[in-house]
Amino acid sequence: MSTKTAVKPAADTRVLSYAGALLETMDAGLAEHPNVFIMGQGVDDFKGIFGSTTGLAEKYGASRVFDVPLMEEGMTGIAIGAALVGDYPITTHIRADFTFLAMNQIVNLAAKYRYMFGGLMSCPMLIRLVVGRSWGQGAQHSQSPQSTFAHYPGLTVVMPSTSQAILDMYPQIINKHPGPVISIEHRLLYNLDFTVSSSAKPVPLTSYVAREGKDVTVVATSVMVLEALRAAEYVAEKAGVSAEVIDLNSISHPDWDLVAASVKKTGSLVIADTSWLEYGVASEVCRQLVMRDPALLKKPPAMLGMAPAPCPTAKSLEDIYYPSQRETVDAIMTQAKGAGHGLALPTEKSMTEGYKRFRGPF
Amino acid sequence: MKEEAIYRRLFRTALLIRLVEERIIDLYPSDRIQSPVHLSIGQESVAVGVCDGLRPDDIMFATYRSHGFYIAKGGPLDAMFAELYGRKGGISGGKAGSMHLSAPEVGLLGSSAVVASSLPHAVGTALSFKRRGLSRIAVTVFGDGATEEGVYHESLNFAAVMKVPVLFICEDNGLAVHSHRPVRQSYRLPEHAAAYGIKSRRLEEGWDIMAVRQATLEAAEKVRAGEPFVLEIVTSRYKEHVGVGEDFHFNYRSSDSVEAFKKRDPLLVDTKLVEALTPEIMREIDAAVAFAEASPAPGRAELLTDVI
Repeated sequence: MSTKTAVKPAADTRVLSYAGALLETMDAGLAEHPNVFIMGQGVDDFKGIFGSTTGLAEKYGASRVFDVPLMEEGMTGIAIGAALVGDYPITTHIRADFTFLAMNQIVNLAAKYRYMFGGLMSCPMLIRLVVGRSWGQGAQHSQSPQSTFAHYPGLTVVMPSTSQAILDMYPQIINKHPGPVISIEHRLLYNLDFTVSSSAKPVPLTSYVAREGKDVTVVATSVMVLEALRAAEYVAEKAGVSAEVIDLNSISHPDWDLVAASVKKTGSLVIADTSWLEYGVASEVCRQLVMRDPALLKKPPAMLGMAPAPCPTAKSLEDIYYPSQRETVDAIMTQAKGAGHGLALPTEKSMTEGYKRFRGPF
Repeated sequence: MKEEAIYRRLFRTALLIRLVEERIIDLYPSDRIQSPVHLSIGQESVAVGVCDGLRPDDIMFATYRSHGFYIAKGGPLDAMFAELYGRKGGISGGKAGSMHLSAPEVGLLGSSAVVASSLPHAVGTALSFKRRGLSRIAVTVFGDGATEEGVYHESLNFAAVMKVPVLFICEDNGLAVHSHRPVRQSYRLPEHAAAYGIKSRRLEEGWDIMAVRQATLEAAEKVRAGEPFVLEIVTSRYKEHVGVGEDFHFNYRSSDSVEAFKKRDPLLVDTKLVEALTPEIMREIDAAVAFAEASPAPGRAELLTDVI
């Protein structure tokens, strides 16, 4: 499996962790745009939001990178007020769950500032949130609110799944995108090394094909993109099944043409999301496809997401709460060959173990 | 003499606000204004005094009860009526209505209909001014009910910790919709602000335009020097919370305090000045209403613009 492959960078590539990519883009944002500042709980401490802001306060000073009181709503409102007079604020939430405390400012104000005032003003800013998972994160440190935010017009919601996605997307967002952007990062990705290229076509602020295939379409988000890619390698190697993996990437503005074209080609679909299926990304993917052409799918799609309960803490429960590599492979094979596909499934129960070993190349 | 000239200028603006809102009352039964209106009749002196105590380049954030602040800060009247009418000529093309008036070109950067939600915006604008070394200040206007919200505390705390040039102005009309202070507040605002190390002042004479102006000038000077300040101004809401009527007959409040306030209300006391200024102001309002009436309604072409 690719998890055991040593990374050998080519001439125009290098190895960069997700946290490293975040640090580079934060650094570049501050260096290139004097109006950019970063605020959030602990952005200037020794842990630096899991290494994504480390050293920036020292480099750019306390007026550019600074700690704030525990005030998610206030901080977000302050970001709006600064953005309205030309600053570009970047705020951080070390767990996505804490962002719910800022819902009023995000949903009632930031999302609506441009429209509600008839285009007179806008509040472009980047809100970074980190989804937690594993080691007993439990019910309040594990939520993945992409469909919550993507529901509201006015918000742009992205979920970068690789270092490349961060390197390519953040410079398109920081001080460039006209409105508020919510980037939902994933804690499990932070310590992973990825091979990044300086010459490849940049990851757009919408969906893209992460792996081409012809038998099954897998539409995935965040860590589930990596899971889908690993499963795709497995089924290719063991069963000759060709899975096309689409990284939805933008939750608010996916490339539905891309998704529909892929499903038209394969006739089958697996949706792999990091959150609950109910009223979520899975539902929206189906809505988009059905509204285009109910005949696109030749069979009911398979859906992978969190079990319909708050996240439990016990490892034995957590292991069965999230879709495993085993279930992902099974979903792809079932779509390709039917329930009696007969392929021996990988034995790995918890994806978390896989992430510890994972070294790219995606 | 100079004082008199200032008074006359401010009185005129206050009268303009009152006559505008009285015109809204007249128009309302016609359903040409299909937007909830929160009238500030009784509170005009606060808007006028505060806005005149600021520099033109100071930034203000207000609430859903902001016809007065919009006019006092210098927002165009024709675009205001067109906005209330929901027309393309409105300041926001009809997407804002009465509750979200703004006039960025004169420093009113928004009005929110969610209580207390624009307080941190002023703090953020002030933070930006401080970071850039500017001498401008940011002002947020809110009612006494807003001080009960969590974000009020977050805003004061951050403003005090970071020493940003923000002026908090509390319009204290004693009511949150229909709820009186004793069921809402266990604190008094000045002591409460002092706990954050923020200086404050409570001005009882909210009907007195010149007193409000002077209090604002003094507060703004302190803020400009680099510290937040809370200015609490006692005022009186004559009309119902939302709508164009009165609400004394519902017996949730007595008219006594309002009547006492009215006895000092310059727009009711200074009848000679009202008489002298009214005709010209009425012509101004007539023109603004005519502009609104003639302005086309937005449609499909506008529905999905300015979303992102």
